[in-house]
Amino acid sequence: MDNLKRTPLYQEHVKSGAKMVPFAGWEMPLQYGSIIDEHLTVRNKVGLFDVSHMGEIFISGRESLEFLQKIVPQDISKLFPGKAVYCQLTNKSAGIIDDLIIYRLQEETEFPSYLLIVNASRIEEDYNWIEFNKKDGSYDVEIDNQSANNCLLSVQGPFSSELIRDLGLDINNQPAKFTIKQAYMNSINVFISRTGYTGEDGFEILVKNEDAVILWNRILDKGQKYEIKPIGLAARDTLRLESAMLLYGQDMDDKTTPPEASLSWSVPPGKEEDYFGKERILSQLDGKNMSRVLIGFRMLGNAIPRHNYEIYKDNERVGTVTSGGIAPALKVNIGLGYINTSIPASIGTKLDIKIRDRFFPAEIVKRPFYVRSMRK
Amino acid sequence: MDKLVPDNILCTKSHEYILVNNNEAKIGITDFAVDQLGDVVFVELPDVGATFNKGESFGTIESVKAASEIYMPAGGKIAEINEVLAAQPELVNEDCYEKGWLIKITDFDQSELDDAMAYDEYKEYLESKEEEEE
Repeated sequence: MDNLKRTPLYQEHVKSGAKMVPFAGWEMPLQYGSIIDEHLTVRNKVGLFDVSHMGEIFISGRESLEFLQKIVPQDISKLFPGKAVYCQLTNKSAGIIDDLIIYRLQEETEFPSYLLIVNASRIEEDYNWIEFNKKDGSYDVEIDNQSANNCLLSVQGPFSSELIRDLGLDINNQPAKFTIKQAYMNSINVFISRTGYTGEDGFEILVKNEDAVILWNRILDKGQKYEIKPIGLAARDTLRLESAMLLYGQDMDDKTTPPEASLSWSVPPGKEEDYFGKERILSQLDGKNMSRVLIGFRMLGNAIPRHNYEIYKDNERVGTVTSGGIAPALKVNIGLGYINTSIPASIGTKLDIKIRDRFFPAEIVKRPFYVRSMRK
Repeated sequence: MDKLVPDNILCTKSHEYILVNNNEAKIGITDFAVDQLGDVVFVELPDVGATFNKGESFGTIESVKAASEIYMPAGGKIAEINEVLAAQPELVNEDCYEKGWLIKITDFDQSELDDAMAYDEYKEYLESKEEEEE
Protein backbone atom coordinates (compact mmCIF):
# COMPACT_ATOMS: atom_id res chain seq x y z
CA MET A 1 0.00 0.00 0.00
CA ASP A 2 2.86 2.35 -0.83
CA ASN A 3 2.14 5.92 -1.87
CA LEU A 4 -1.49 5.72 -0.87
CA LYS A 5 -2.91 8.79 0.80
CA ARG A 6 -4.70 8.54 4.13
CA THR A 7 -7.46 10.80 5.35
CA PRO A 8 -7.07 12.35 8.82
CA LEU A 9 -9.64 9.75 9.95
CA TYR A 10 -7.45 6.74 9.08
CA GLN A 11 -6.74 5.82 12.71
CA GLU A 12 -10.43 6.06 13.62
CA HIS A 13 -11.25 3.54 10.88
CA VAL A 14 -8.55 1.15 12.02
CA LYS A 15 -9.79 1.45 15.61
CA SER A 16 -13.29 0.58 14.43
CA GLY A 17 -11.97 -2.58 12.77
CA ALA A 18 -12.24 -1.42 9.17
CA LYS A 19 -10.81 -3.42 6.31
CA MET A 20 -8.73 -0.77 4.51
CA VAL A 21 -8.31 -0.97 0.74
CA PRO A 22 -6.79 1.16 -2.01
CA PHE A 23 -9.34 3.35 -3.79
CA ALA A 24 -8.51 6.14 -6.27
CA GLY A 25 -5.08 6.62 -4.70
CA TRP A 26 -6.37 6.56 -1.14
CA GLU A 27 -6.42 3.95 1.59
CA MET A 28 -10.11 3.88 2.47
CA PRO A 29 -12.43 1.76 4.66
CA LEU A 30 -14.15 -0.90 2.54
CA GLN A 31 -16.27 -2.25 5.39
CA TYR A 32 -16.24 -2.32 9.18
CA GLY A 33 -18.35 -5.48 9.47
CA SER A 34 -21.10 -6.93 7.34
CA ILE A 35 -21.74 -4.93 4.15
CA ILE A 36 -25.43 -5.88 4.14
CA ASP A 37 -25.76 -4.78 7.74
CA GLU A 38 -24.11 -1.44 6.93
CA HIS A 39 -26.40 -1.02 3.93
CA LEU A 40 -29.53 -1.64 6.01
CA THR A 41 -28.28 0.66 8.77
CA VAL A 42 -28.34 3.52 6.27
CA ARG A 43 -31.75 2.48 4.95
CA ASN A 44 -33.34 2.12 8.38
CA LYS A 45 -31.28 4.13 10.89
CA VAL A 46 -28.30 6.38 10.20
CA GLY A 47 -24.75 5.84 8.99
CA LEU A 48 -21.55 7.90 8.89
CA PHE A 49 -19.17 7.84 5.91
CA ASP A 50 -15.69 9.25 5.49
CA VAL A 51 -15.63 10.49 1.90
CA SER A 52 -12.68 12.82 2.37
CA HIS A 53 -11.03 11.43 -0.74
CA MET A 54 -13.50 13.45 -2.81
CA GLY A 55 -12.37 16.77 -4.21
CA GLU A 56 -13.44 20.32 -3.44
CA ILE A 57 -12.79 23.08 -5.94
CA PHE A 58 -13.93 26.63 -5.17
CA ILE A 59 -14.66 29.02 -8.03
CA SER A 60 -15.19 32.72 -7.43
CA GLY A 61 -14.65 36.04 -9.13
CA ARG A 62 -16.41 38.41 -11.52
CA GLU A 63 -17.07 35.86 -14.29
CA SER A 64 -17.64 32.71 -12.23
CA LEU A 65 -21.19 32.21 -13.50
CA GLU A 66 -20.24 32.76 -17.17
CA PHE A 67 -17.34 30.36 -16.71
CA LEU A 68 -19.44 27.58 -15.17
CA GLN A 69 -22.09 28.01 -17.88
CA LYS A 70 -19.35 27.23 -20.41
CA ILE A 71 -18.08 24.04 -18.76
CA VAL A 72 -21.30 22.23 -17.73
CA PRO A 73 -24.58 21.54 -19.60
CA GLN A 74 -26.64 22.43 -16.50
CA ASP A 75 -28.06 25.94 -16.18
CA ILE A 76 -26.09 27.38 -13.27
CA SER A 77 -27.88 30.76 -13.55
CA LYS A 78 -30.90 29.09 -11.90
CA LEU A 79 -29.04 28.55 -8.63
CA PHE A 80 -30.05 30.90 -5.83
CA PRO A 81 -27.51 31.41 -3.03
CA GLY A 82 -27.15 28.13 -1.14
CA LYS A 83 -28.67 25.97 -3.91
CA ALA A 84 -26.95 22.88 -5.33
CA VAL A 85 -27.36 20.98 -8.58
CA TYR A 86 -26.09 17.69 -10.05
CA CYS A 87 -24.24 18.09 -13.35
CA GLN A 88 -21.38 16.92 -15.54
CA LEU A 89 -18.18 18.48 -16.84
CA THR A 90 -18.21 17.75 -20.58
CA ASN A 91 -15.48 17.83 -23.20
CA LYS A 92 -15.74 19.21 -26.75
CA SER A 93 -17.20 15.96 -28.07
CA ALA A 94 -19.79 15.90 -25.24
CA GLY A 95 -18.00 13.12 -23.31
CA ILE A 96 -18.32 13.23 -19.54
CA ILE A 97 -15.04 14.27 -17.88
CA ASP A 98 -16.62 13.91 -14.46
CA ASP A 99 -19.95 14.14 -12.70
CA LEU A 100 -20.23 16.52 -9.80
CA ILE A 101 -22.41 18.69 -7.62
CA ILE A 102 -22.11 22.44 -7.93
CA TYR A 103 -23.14 24.45 -4.86
CA ARG A 104 -23.70 28.20 -5.02
CA LEU A 105 -22.44 29.46 -1.68
CA GLN A 106 -24.63 31.67 0.45
CA GLU A 107 -21.85 33.82 1.76
CA GLU A 108 -20.84 35.88 -1.18
CA THR A 109 -19.25 39.24 -1.68
CA GLU A 110 -19.78 41.18 -4.88
CA PHE A 111 -20.09 38.12 -7.17
CA PRO A 112 -21.49 34.65 -6.74
CA SER A 113 -19.05 31.97 -5.67
CA TYR A 114 -19.35 28.23 -6.06
CA LEU A 115 -18.13 24.96 -4.61
CA LEU A 116 -17.63 21.94 -6.88
CA ILE A 117 -17.55 18.51 -5.21
CA VAL A 118 -15.89 16.08 -7.62
CA ASN A 119 -14.85 12.43 -7.73
CA ALA A 120 -11.56 11.49 -6.06
CA SER A 121 -10.29 9.73 -9.17
CA ARG A 122 -10.89 12.84 -11.28
CA ILE A 123 -9.61 15.73 -9.14
CA GLU A 124 -6.48 16.28 -11.18
CA GLU A 125 -8.19 15.81 -14.53
CA ASP A 126 -11.01 18.19 -13.56
CA TYR A 127 -8.69 20.81 -12.12
CA ASN A 128 -6.43 20.79 -15.19
CA TRP A 129 -9.43 21.05 -17.52
CA ILE A 130 -10.92 23.91 -15.50
CA GLU A 131 -7.59 25.78 -15.33
CA PHE A 132 -6.99 25.25 -19.04
CA ASN A 133 -10.38 26.67 -19.97
CA LYS A 134 -10.03 29.60 -17.63
CA LYS A 135 -6.84 30.62 -19.46
CA ASP A 136 -8.13 29.62 -22.88
CA GLY A 137 -11.22 31.81 -22.53
CA SER A 138 -9.48 34.52 -20.43
CA TYR A 139 -12.13 34.25 -17.73
CA ASP A 140 -11.86 36.55 -14.74
CA VAL A 141 -12.25 33.81 -12.10
CA GLU A 142 -10.31 32.38 -9.21
CA ILE A 143 -9.95 28.64 -8.98
CA ASP A 144 -8.99 27.19 -5.63
CA ASN A 145 -8.47 23.45 -5.31
CA GLN A 146 -8.99 22.81 -1.59
CA SER A 147 -9.20 19.02 -1.87
CA ALA A 148 -6.17 18.34 0.31
CA ASN A 149 -7.25 20.62 3.16
CA ASN A 150 -10.74 19.35 3.89
CA CYS A 151 -12.52 16.27 5.07
CA LEU A 152 -15.99 15.36 3.89
CA LEU A 153 -18.20 13.44 6.31
CA SER A 154 -21.52 12.11 5.14
CA VAL A 155 -24.41 11.41 7.53
CA GLN A 156 -27.10 9.41 5.74
CA GLY A 157 -30.32 7.70 6.75
CA PRO A 158 -33.82 8.40 8.08
CA PHE A 159 -32.49 9.62 11.46
CA SER A 160 -29.98 12.06 9.93
CA SER A 161 -32.00 15.15 10.67
CA GLU A 162 -32.56 14.24 14.34
CA LEU A 163 -28.88 13.50 14.74
CA ILE A 164 -27.81 16.80 13.17
CA ARG A 165 -30.25 18.52 15.54
CA ASP A 166 -28.60 16.79 18.49
CA LEU A 167 -25.26 18.06 17.20
CA GLY A 168 -26.45 21.64 17.59
CA LEU A 169 -28.26 22.50 14.39
CA ASP A 170 -32.01 22.93 14.95
CA ILE A 171 -34.37 21.46 12.38
CA ASN A 172 -35.22 25.04 11.32
CA ASN A 173 -31.57 25.87 10.82
CA GLN A 174 -30.76 22.78 8.79
CA PRO A 175 -30.19 23.20 5.08
CA ALA A 176 -33.21 22.23 2.92
CA LYS A 177 -32.92 19.47 0.32
CA PHE A 178 -30.12 20.17 -2.17
CA THR A 179 -28.89 23.31 -0.43
CA ILE A 180 -25.75 24.20 1.49
CA LYS A 181 -24.95 26.58 4.33
CA GLN A 182 -22.10 27.54 6.54
CA ALA A 183 -22.70 26.61 10.17
CA TYR A 184 -21.12 25.89 13.52
CA MET A 185 -21.49 22.39 14.88
CA ASN A 186 -20.32 22.44 18.50
CA SER A 187 -18.17 25.47 17.61
CA ILE A 188 -16.59 23.73 14.61
CA ASN A 189 -16.96 25.78 11.44
CA VAL A 190 -18.37 23.65 8.60
CA PHE A 191 -20.20 23.76 5.30
CA ILE A 192 -23.22 21.49 5.62
CA SER A 193 -25.38 20.41 2.70
CA ARG A 194 -28.49 18.24 2.37
CA THR A 195 -27.07 15.92 -0.28
CA GLY A 196 -25.69 12.40 -0.55
CA TYR A 197 -25.10 9.31 -2.64
CA THR A 198 -27.42 6.83 -0.95
CA GLY A 199 -31.00 7.73 -1.87
CA GLU A 200 -31.75 8.57 1.77
CA ASP A 201 -32.23 11.87 3.53
CA GLY A 202 -28.80 12.99 4.64
CA PHE A 203 -26.13 15.60 5.04
CA GLU A 204 -22.60 16.10 3.80
CA ILE A 205 -20.30 18.07 6.07
CA LEU A 206 -17.18 19.75 4.81
CA VAL A 207 -14.77 20.33 7.66
CA LYS A 208 -11.14 21.43 7.94
CA ASN A 209 -8.71 18.52 8.30
CA GLU A 210 -7.73 19.57 11.82
CA ASP A 211 -11.35 19.40 13.06
CA ALA A 212 -12.29 16.14 11.35
CA VAL A 213 -11.42 13.59 14.06
CA ILE A 214 -13.27 15.43 16.81
CA LEU A 215 -16.35 15.89 14.61
CA TRP A 216 -16.28 12.25 13.44
CA ASN A 217 -16.22 11.00 17.03
CA ARG A 218 -18.85 13.47 18.17
CA ILE A 219 -21.21 12.31 15.43
CA LEU A 220 -20.67 8.66 16.39
CA ASP A 221 -21.18 9.51 20.06
CA LYS A 222 -24.39 11.50 19.58
CA GLY A 223 -25.56 8.95 17.03
CA GLN A 224 -25.50 6.03 19.49
CA LYS A 225 -29.09 6.90 20.38
CA TYR A 226 -30.04 6.14 16.76
CA GLU A 227 -27.78 3.07 16.53
CA ILE A 228 -25.39 4.82 14.14
CA LYS A 229 -22.59 2.88 12.47
CA PRO A 230 -19.60 3.91 10.39
CA ILE A 231 -20.21 2.78 6.80
CA GLY A 232 -17.56 1.71 4.29
CA LEU A 233 -17.17 2.16 0.56
CA ALA A 234 -18.65 -1.29 -0.20
CA ALA A 235 -22.04 -0.35 1.24
CA ARG A 236 -21.73 3.09 -0.35
CA ASP A 237 -21.58 1.23 -3.66
CA THR A 238 -24.61 -1.02 -2.97
CA LEU A 239 -26.58 1.99 -1.70
CA ARG A 240 -25.87 4.13 -4.73
CA LEU A 241 -26.64 1.23 -7.08
CA GLU A 242 -29.97 0.54 -5.39
CA SER A 243 -30.77 4.22 -5.94
CA ALA A 244 -29.55 3.87 -9.57
CA MET A 245 -26.94 6.59 -9.17
CA LEU A 246 -24.09 6.25 -11.65
CA LEU A 247 -20.47 5.66 -10.69
CA TYR A 248 -17.92 7.59 -12.72
CA GLY A 249 -15.36 5.39 -14.48
CA GLN A 250 -17.70 2.43 -14.36
CA ASP A 251 -21.15 3.55 -15.59
CA MET A 252 -19.80 6.46 -17.63
CA ASP A 253 -16.54 7.88 -18.88
CA ASP A 254 -15.21 10.55 -21.25
CA LYS A 255 -16.52 8.58 -24.24
CA THR A 256 -20.08 8.68 -22.88
CA THR A 257 -22.44 11.64 -23.35
CA PRO A 258 -25.01 12.68 -20.72
CA PRO A 259 -27.99 11.51 -22.86
CA GLU A 260 -26.33 8.13 -23.45
CA ALA A 261 -25.89 7.81 -19.68
CA SER A 262 -29.64 8.59 -19.31
CA LEU A 263 -28.74 11.87 -17.64
CA SER A 264 -30.81 14.10 -19.95
CA TRP A 265 -32.88 15.12 -16.92
CA SER A 266 -29.83 17.13 -15.83
CA VAL A 267 -29.52 18.94 -19.18
CA PRO A 268 -31.98 21.84 -19.56
CA PRO A 269 -32.81 22.05 -23.30
CA GLY A 270 -33.49 25.78 -23.17
CA LYS A 271 -30.14 26.94 -21.82
CA GLU A 272 -28.98 29.81 -24.02
CA GLU A 273 -25.27 29.88 -23.33
CA ASP A 274 -22.90 27.74 -25.34
CA TYR A 275 -21.11 24.91 -23.53
CA PHE A 276 -18.76 22.10 -24.49
CA GLY A 277 -20.51 19.43 -26.52
CA LYS A 278 -23.78 21.37 -26.68
CA GLU A 279 -24.64 20.59 -30.28
CA ARG A 280 -24.17 16.86 -29.86
CA ILE A 281 -25.96 16.72 -26.51
CA LEU A 282 -28.98 18.62 -27.85
CA SER A 283 -29.14 16.36 -30.90
CA GLN A 284 -29.41 13.36 -28.55
CA LEU A 285 -31.93 14.73 -26.04
CA ASP A 286 -34.89 13.05 -27.74
CA GLY A 287 -33.03 9.72 -27.81
CA LYS A 288 -31.86 10.09 -31.40
CA ASN A 289 -28.31 10.07 -32.79
CA MET A 290 -26.90 7.62 -30.32
CA SER A 291 -26.09 3.95 -30.57
CA ARG A 292 -26.38 2.95 -26.92
CA VAL A 293 -28.23 4.04 -23.82
CA LEU A 294 -28.04 3.26 -20.12
CA ILE A 295 -30.84 1.17 -18.63
CA GLY A 296 -31.62 -0.39 -15.25
CA PHE A 297 -32.65 -4.02 -15.02
CA ARG A 298 -33.54 -6.63 -12.44
CA MET A 299 -32.83 -10.33 -12.57
CA LEU A 300 -35.85 -12.63 -12.69
CA GLY A 301 -33.99 -15.31 -10.68
CA ASN A 302 -31.31 -15.26 -8.02
CA ALA A 303 -28.19 -15.01 -10.23
CA ILE A 304 -26.10 -11.90 -9.65
CA PRO A 305 -25.10 -9.60 -12.52
CA ARG A 306 -21.67 -7.96 -12.32
CA HIS A 307 -19.58 -5.30 -14.06
CA ASN A 308 -18.66 -6.29 -17.65
CA TYR A 309 -21.09 -9.21 -17.99
CA GLU A 310 -22.68 -9.38 -21.44
CA ILE A 311 -26.31 -8.51 -22.18
CA TYR A 312 -28.25 -10.48 -24.82
CA LYS A 313 -31.66 -10.33 -26.42
CA ASP A 314 -32.97 -13.22 -28.54
CA ASN A 315 -29.48 -14.81 -28.56
CA GLU A 316 -27.85 -11.67 -29.87
CA ARG A 317 -25.35 -9.58 -27.93
CA VAL A 318 -26.95 -6.19 -27.33
CA GLY A 319 -24.97 -4.64 -24.52
CA THR A 320 -22.83 -4.75 -21.39
CA VAL A 321 -23.50 -4.55 -17.66
CA THR A 322 -21.62 -1.64 -16.07
CA SER A 323 -22.72 -2.09 -12.44
CA GLY A 324 -24.48 -5.03 -10.87
CA GLY A 325 -25.13 -6.69 -7.58
CA ILE A 326 -27.61 -7.37 -4.88
CA ALA A 327 -30.18 -4.84 -3.69
CA PRO A 328 -30.27 -5.61 0.05
CA ALA A 329 -33.31 -3.45 0.79
CA LEU A 330 -35.30 -4.92 -2.12
CA LYS A 331 -34.09 -8.52 -1.99
CA VAL A 332 -33.59 -8.71 -5.75
CA ASN A 333 -30.49 -8.55 -7.92
CA ILE A 334 -30.13 -5.47 -10.08
CA GLY A 335 -27.85 -3.83 -12.56
CA LEU A 336 -27.12 -0.87 -14.77
CA GLY A 337 -25.82 -1.30 -18.28
CA TYR A 338 -25.80 -0.06 -21.82
CA ILE A 339 -27.90 -1.59 -24.60
CA ASN A 340 -27.98 -0.85 -28.30
CA THR A 341 -30.66 1.65 -29.25
CA SER A 342 -31.80 -0.83 -31.92
CA ILE A 343 -33.76 -2.66 -29.22
CA PRO A 344 -36.43 -1.02 -27.06
CA ALA A 345 -35.19 0.45 -23.79
CA SER A 346 -38.73 0.49 -22.45
CA ILE A 347 -39.74 -0.87 -19.05
CA GLY A 348 -40.61 -4.56 -19.23
CA THR A 349 -38.25 -5.37 -22.11
CA LYS A 350 -36.83 -8.86 -21.50
CA LEU A 351 -33.07 -9.36 -21.63
CA ASP A 352 -30.65 -12.18 -20.87
CA ILE A 353 -27.49 -11.69 -18.84
CA LYS A 354 -24.61 -14.04 -19.57
CA ILE A 355 -23.18 -15.32 -16.29
CA ARG A 356 -20.41 -17.94 -16.38
CA ASP A 357 -21.42 -19.01 -19.91
CA ARG A 358 -25.10 -19.43 -19.10
CA PHE A 359 -28.00 -17.10 -19.77
CA PHE A 360 -30.21 -15.74 -17.02
CA PRO A 361 -33.40 -13.76 -17.68
CA ALA A 362 -33.74 -10.12 -16.66
CA GLU A 363 -36.09 -7.27 -17.44
CA ILE A 364 -35.71 -3.54 -17.80
CA VAL A 365 -37.25 -1.73 -14.82
CA LYS A 366 -37.82 1.83 -13.70
CA ARG A 367 -34.95 3.70 -12.05
CA PRO A 368 -34.29 4.31 -9.21
CA PHE A 369 -34.75 0.71 -8.11
CA TYR A 370 -35.26 1.91 -4.53
CA VAL A 371 -37.09 5.00 -3.32
CA ARG A 372 -37.49 6.03 0.30
CA SER A 373 -41.22 5.35 0.36
CA MET A 374 -40.47 1.62 -0.04
CA ARG A 375 -39.08 1.51 3.49
CA LYS A 376 -40.96 -0.94 5.65
CA MET B 1 -13.65 -19.96 16.28
CA ASP B 2 -11.06 -22.73 16.52
CA LYS B 3 -13.17 -24.87 18.81
CA LEU B 4 -15.86 -25.12 16.14
CA VAL B 5 -13.42 -26.55 13.63
CA PRO B 6 -14.01 -30.30 13.39
CA ASP B 7 -11.08 -32.63 13.99
CA ASN B 8 -9.52 -34.28 10.99
CA ILE B 9 -10.40 -31.70 8.37
CA LEU B 10 -7.87 -31.13 5.62
CA CYS B 11 -7.49 -27.73 3.99
CA THR B 12 -6.28 -26.55 0.58
CA LYS B 13 -4.28 -23.50 -0.39
CA SER B 14 -7.39 -22.24 -2.17
CA HIS B 15 -9.23 -22.39 1.21
CA GLU B 16 -11.56 -25.34 0.80
CA TYR B 17 -11.78 -27.97 3.50
CA ILE B 18 -12.55 -31.66 3.13
CA LEU B 19 -13.71 -34.00 5.86
CA VAL B 20 -13.38 -37.66 4.96
CA ASN B 21 -15.79 -40.13 6.53
CA ASN B 22 -15.13 -43.62 5.13
CA ASN B 23 -16.27 -43.64 1.51
CA GLU B 24 -17.80 -40.17 1.58
CA ALA B 25 -16.23 -36.76 2.04
CA LYS B 26 -17.79 -33.41 2.92
CA ILE B 27 -16.42 -30.26 1.28
CA GLY B 28 -16.85 -26.62 2.22
CA ILE B 29 -14.82 -23.44 2.61
CA THR B 30 -12.69 -22.59 5.64
CA ASP B 31 -13.49 -20.00 8.29
CA PHE B 32 -10.61 -17.94 6.90
CA ALA B 33 -12.24 -17.94 3.45
CA VAL B 34 -15.57 -16.95 5.00
CA ASP B 35 -13.88 -14.09 6.81
CA GLN B 36 -12.28 -12.86 3.60
CA LEU B 37 -15.49 -13.07 1.59
CA GLY B 38 -17.85 -11.36 4.00
CA ASP B 39 -21.60 -11.80 3.45
CA VAL B 40 -22.23 -14.78 1.17
CA VAL B 41 -25.26 -13.95 -0.99
CA PHE B 42 -25.35 -16.71 -3.61
CA VAL B 43 -23.98 -20.23 -3.93
CA GLU B 44 -23.97 -22.14 -7.20
CA LEU B 45 -23.41 -25.88 -6.85
CA PRO B 46 -23.12 -28.69 -9.42
CA ASP B 47 -25.67 -31.41 -10.21
CA VAL B 48 -25.62 -34.59 -8.17
CA GLY B 49 -23.86 -37.33 -10.16
CA ALA B 50 -21.45 -34.99 -11.91
CA THR B 51 -17.76 -35.82 -11.66
CA PHE B 52 -14.82 -33.44 -11.32
CA ASN B 53 -11.07 -33.75 -11.23
CA LYS B 54 -8.88 -32.53 -8.43
CA GLY B 55 -8.39 -28.77 -8.72
CA GLU B 56 -11.35 -28.35 -11.05
CA SER B 57 -13.95 -25.67 -10.25
CA PHE B 58 -17.21 -27.24 -9.06
CA GLY B 59 -19.16 -24.11 -8.24
CA THR B 60 -19.21 -20.45 -7.33
CA ILE B 61 -19.65 -18.54 -4.11
CA GLU B 62 -20.72 -14.92 -4.43
CA SER B 63 -20.24 -12.29 -1.78
CA VAL B 64 -21.62 -8.77 -2.03
CA LYS B 65 -18.43 -7.67 -3.75
CA ALA B 66 -17.44 -10.54 -6.05
CA ALA B 67 -17.90 -14.05 -7.41
CA SER B 68 -15.29 -16.67 -6.41
CA GLU B 69 -14.76 -20.14 -7.84
CA ILE B 70 -14.53 -23.15 -5.53
CA TYR B 71 -12.20 -26.04 -6.36
CA MET B 72 -12.18 -29.79 -5.73
CA PRO B 73 -9.62 -30.82 -3.06
CA ALA B 74 -9.73 -34.27 -4.70
CA GLY B 75 -11.39 -35.69 -7.80
CA GLY B 76 -14.71 -37.44 -7.25
CA LYS B 77 -18.39 -37.80 -7.90
CA ILE B 78 -21.00 -35.44 -6.43
CA ALA B 79 -23.12 -37.54 -4.05
CA GLU B 80 -25.10 -34.73 -2.43
CA ILE B 81 -25.29 -30.94 -2.45
CA ASN B 82 -26.41 -28.68 0.37
CA GLU B 83 -29.74 -27.62 -1.11
CA VAL B 84 -30.61 -25.36 1.82
CA LEU B 85 -27.98 -22.89 0.63
CA ALA B 86 -30.11 -21.86 -2.36
CA ALA B 87 -32.51 -20.13 0.01
CA GLN B 88 -30.07 -19.45 2.88
CA PRO B 89 -26.59 -18.74 1.51
CA GLU B 90 -25.79 -16.94 4.79
CA LEU B 91 -25.40 -20.36 6.46
CA VAL B 92 -21.92 -20.42 4.92
CA ASN B 93 -21.09 -17.35 7.02
CA GLU B 94 -22.79 -18.57 10.15
CA ASP B 95 -21.54 -22.14 10.23
CA CYS B 96 -19.19 -23.08 7.41
CA TYR B 97 -18.22 -26.47 8.94
CA GLU B 98 -21.70 -27.75 9.81
CA LYS B 99 -24.86 -26.20 8.33
CA GLY B 100 -22.88 -24.31 5.68
CA TRP B 101 -21.20 -27.30 4.00
CA LEU B 102 -21.29 -27.30 0.18
CA ILE B 103 -21.06 -30.79 -1.32
CA LYS B 104 -20.47 -34.44 -0.45
CA ILE B 105 -18.43 -36.59 -2.80
CA THR B 106 -17.75 -40.29 -3.31
CA ASP B 107 -15.36 -42.17 -5.60
CA PHE B 108 -12.33 -40.18 -4.57
CA ASP B 109 -8.77 -41.32 -4.18
CA GLN B 110 -7.38 -40.67 -0.71
CA SER B 111 -3.87 -40.26 -2.14
CA GLU B 112 -5.02 -37.09 -3.92
CA LEU B 113 -5.27 -35.48 -0.48
CA ASP B 114 -1.57 -35.94 0.30
CA ASP B 115 -0.85 -32.27 -0.29
CA ALA B 116 -3.85 -31.04 1.72
CA MET B 117 -2.98 -29.55 5.12
CA ALA B 118 -4.23 -30.37 8.60
CA TYR B 119 -5.91 -27.34 10.20
CA ASP B 120 -2.87 -26.43 12.33
CA GLU B 121 -0.63 -26.66 9.33
CA TYR B 122 -3.12 -24.54 7.34
CA LYS B 123 -3.05 -21.86 10.07
CA GLU B 124 0.75 -21.77 9.83
CA TYR B 125 0.47 -21.49 6.06
CA LEU B 126 -1.88 -18.49 6.43
CA GLU B 127 0.49 -16.81 8.86
CA SER B 128 3.50 -17.30 6.61
CA LYS B 129 1.50 -15.88 3.70
CA GLU B 130 0.60 -12.86 5.77
CA GLU B 131 4.26 -12.27 6.61
CA GLU B 132 5.16 -12.47 2.94
CA GLU B 133 2.68 -9.72 2.15
CA GLU B 134 4.08 -7.38 4.78
